[in-house]
Amino acid sequence: MTRRISKYKRFMMMNPIVQFFKFIFLSLKVLVIVAGGHGGTRKA
Amino acid sequence: MAKIVVLGAGIAGHVAASHLRRKLPKEHEVVVVSPNSNYQWIPSNIWVGIGRMKPRDLIFPLAPLYAKKHIDYKQAKAISFYPEGDNDEQKPYVLAEYVTGDEKGKQEKVTYDYLINATGPKLNFEGTEGLSPGKNKAHSVCTYTHAQEAWVALEEVIKQMKQGKKVKILIGTGHAKATCQGAAFEYILNVEQELRRHKVRDMAEITWISNEYQLGDFGMDGMLLSYGSNIMKSNEMVEMVFEDRGIHWILGAGVNKVEDGLAHYETLDGEYKQESYDFAMLIPSFSGHGFKAYDKNGGDITEKLFKGFMIVDADYTPKPYEEWTVQDWPETYQNPSYANIFAPGIAFAPPHGISKPRKSKNGTDITPAPPRTGMPSGITAKLVADNIIEMIKNPNHELHHKGSMGNMGAACIASAGFGMTKGSGISITTYPIVPDFKKYPDTHGRKLGKTFGSIGLAGHWLKLALHYAFIYKAKMKPFWWLIPE
Repeated sequence: MTRRISKYKRFMMMNPIVQFFKFIFLSLKVLVIVAGGHGGTRKA
Repeated sequence: MAKIVVLGAGIAGHVAASHLRRKLPKEHEVVVVSPNSNYQWIPSNIWVGIGRMKPRDLIFPLAPLYAKKHIDYKQAKAISFYPEGDNDEQKPYVLAEYVTGDEKGKQEKVTYDYLINATGPKLNFEGTEGLSPGKNKAHSVCTYTHAQEAWVALEEVIKQMKQGKKVKILIGTGHAKATCQGAAFEYILNVEQELRRHKVRDMAEITWISNEYQLGDFGMDGMLLSYGSNIMKSNEMVEMVFEDRGIHWILGAGVNKVEDGLAHYETLDGEYKQESYDFAMLIPSFSGHGFKAYDKNGGDITEKLFKGFMIVDADYTPKPYEEWTVQDWPETYQNPSYANIFAPGIAFAPPHGISKPRKSKNGTDITPAPPRTGMPSGITAKLVADNIIEMIKNPNHELHHKGSMGNMGAACIASAGFGMTKGSGISITTYPIVPDFKKYPDTHGRKLGKTFGSIGLAGHWLKLALHYAFIYKAKMKPFWWLIPE
């Protein structure tokens, strides 16, 4: 059965204060993944 | 002194050229050959397609920037490759034809010591009968001009809705083997939000049509991702969003013909169906540019360089899905026949798909092609530039810089609606891009902590922040290189 977005979840998704902190968190998380580097696979 | 020629000035070509110019002394030549006069930040095209940005917000002219940064620029298109030169020209060269100004139509042998082919894909509209931007009420957001045309048409449809007309909107992929589902996904959510903003949402039936087997496949075989405190599949997340927005979906659909307001498609069950619409945005399939290559004596050696896209250090041995491994994917993007030719970004030929291949009961392949978005394009272009710099310093040097899509993360910040307070974005990161089922057997080939999804206003802010950051970086403003690819 398809999950639904509850009213509480929607409030959290669109609340600017909550989302400001989420923005900081997401920026750092994305940066960690990008800065986490990359490399080959054949000698691993 | 070395001469490096970069074909293309999109994300991969521009990243390669800018890093080469920054890191190489001035005695080395960096030449960019591109038929386009402008750089465009493609990920923001979807906002042009809903009228919330103008093309000028995401483009800038290349010539003044390259002149300032001592990068030679030729507004020309590559025609054919001569990696051994010819009887008159000892050095390898690319035959290019100027596309504008007094020199329009003039052909030139652009010689090189190192060549970076970053020509990206050809938008293969011809692959689907009747599919052409602006024709048959079907549009594209693949370029800023296409996106602008799409907005003009959508605005007209919105006007009709305000006058009481009920309409059908169809958005998705326009070919059985199309890729770039992510762009269509962003566009459908942005269109839906714009209709709500214009208070005409109840006048439209919005349908997603895609060659994906499941929602959220995105040409990456779907994902198992962490979402808040839950772990869910990407198809569950996208289904949740579509349900929330009242968007219908048609999956496993290979669109094969477009007529005025009518899309014909074949399903995986082998049925031939039609879907009518008043406005459509359908992503075409991508293909190589059909370049030819010749040896010193004029013999055709195209198969040494191209397999649709350019051949690189991938394992192209045909094998079934169950035997695909991350080791099949290229690491250095170097052509195996000519060590001074590289193809980062979308220009390289992938060894195979990422999504499980599927055929209809009639034998038609209906499977998304593997995506290569801005982030891997930038990363692969930078590592190619770094390897060339090392080769210039020491021609016998082993290539140290490697970046397989099987050992690389990617962030996809998908806009789900524009607006500083009403906007939304779906942030998805994935590691690795190509699933490694040996390393991560229990989590569908990916590392859970680094493969996550998030929905909300912050996603829109992040996408907007990336828009400004990457345009700043592309303009090579002070300390631009501190912004990662």
